[in-house]
Amino acid sequence: MSNSIQKRVDDLPTRNLTIFSLNALDKIVPGNWENLVGWDNTITTISQESDPALLDLVSRRAIALYDDKSQGYQTALWLYDTIDRTGSALGTAALGNKIGEKIPLLGFLNKLTPKAEKAQTIDLSLKLVVEVVAFCKINGIPGDSLGDFVRSLSDYGGESLMRMSALVCFDGLIPLGPNFIQTVSSRLNNISPKELEDNSQYKNIEEQIPGDSSDGKLSFIGESFDSVKGWMGDFVSSNDLTPQKVSHGLQGFIDFSEDRLDYLAAFLDMSTDYYRHTGVQTLARRLVERSLAEI
Amino acid sequence: MSFAATRKLCVAFSLAMLLFVGGCRGPQADVPPPPPAEQVQPADGQGAVSSESIPGSAFNRFFPQASGEYERVYTQEKDGFAEAKLKRNGEDVAMLAISDTTNVPAAAERLRNSSDRISGYPAATLGSQTSVLVADRFQVKVISRSPDFSESDREAWLKQFDLQGLSRL
Repeated sequence: MSNSIQKRVDDLPTRNLTIFSLNALDKIVPGNWENLVGWDNTITTISQESDPALLDLVSRRAIALYDDKSQGYQTALWLYDTIDRTGSALGTAALGNKIGEKIPLLGFLNKLTPKAEKAQTIDLSLKLVVEVVAFCKINGIPGDSLGDFVRSLSDYGGESLMRMSALVCFDGLIPLGPNFIQTVSSRLNNISPKELEDNSQYKNIEEQIPGDSSDGKLSFIGESFDSVKGWMGDFVSSNDLTPQKVSHGLQGFIDFSEDRLDYLAAFLDMSTDYYRHTGVQTLARRLVERSLAEI
Repeated sequence: MSFAATRKLCVAFSLAMLLFVGGCRGPQADVPPPPPAEQVQPADGQGAVSSESIPGSAFNRFFPQASGEYERVYTQEKDGFAEAKLKRNGEDVAMLAISDTTNVPAAAERLRNSSDRISGYPAATLGSQTSVLVADRFQVKVISRSPDFSESDREAWLKQFDLQGLSRL
């Protein structure tokens, strides 16, 4: 949070496990994802302008908007950062000297602990809640009707669509199987406020989840999941997604056995930070779009 | 430690603090504010958005309707700002926006100085965007997002905003 938005965008990586995973996913779920990095490059690409004076105005306005805490952009980025806090450290180690080779998952089994179904359910649901809350922090609640708002939410593309694809595939299909939507739905109904309070990820972001109590926040989490499960189901069926299809896509750079998908899920969880990475890109895009329209 | 040594330390510390504090304050006090044509923040206070800004929700009703092959998708609604995407047959062709120039004096300044007019309002084109200034305060803008969406398309869509209604806000 202390870093400037330019530095966060300038520091986005172009080659790590997060990028490899997202590129693999982009081939399975074509979303025309481009790993847009670098502040100046982001402004030029999104604005489609070349006049240096105009680009300078866009940049200065976008930075001013981000720096103003009351605008909610810093909270949104904090949410994306916090929900992905565990990611990437193992990825850096795994990538190590493996340039041009596949990463053997077998070598990391002792460092990985697959999550129990309940913990995975809470993780997936919390990531979804972060998406909803961050969306509102960044964009407000666009339009005058619920229909306007839903249209706005469904108009995901680029890095935002990639984030949702990764959520469905890496946090849903691979760890929980093809019926993950039903699994999460029924699991969520049986989670108590106390069990939620015991979850470390929940503790980290608790204050940003709407609701007066853990009970109320649990309801919000359930409602958020209910409101997007239709979209997720359509997404899975329209792209003909299965755990096997996704895992085949990842075999280009990870060597693993098909019967260890729970370990593959744990490895992805520990070695990638796709929420943080694409979250920075989404935020930068919206800041630049707003700035371009305001200057 | 003797009294004299302690005193020396105190004096040295005080001098260092004076230099530090002076160093922090000096340059800022001498820098004049940028001229309005360069200001990308409200002139009157802190932050990027003035507390005097009109809420973005108040702008929504002045946006053009879209029908047929066109679809309008609202994308952002913040204080002093509302934006929608214009799609044609599912493809993004333009962004439509209304903003309160209280927050970006540079924008109002540029439009005020323009001799062009659209529907009687001061208008200007900058790169792939065209905008008008309504009631000397609200900027209404159309930005092309597709090479097929020309300057005349932008002008035509600007005219479809309820500019008169906005002028009475």
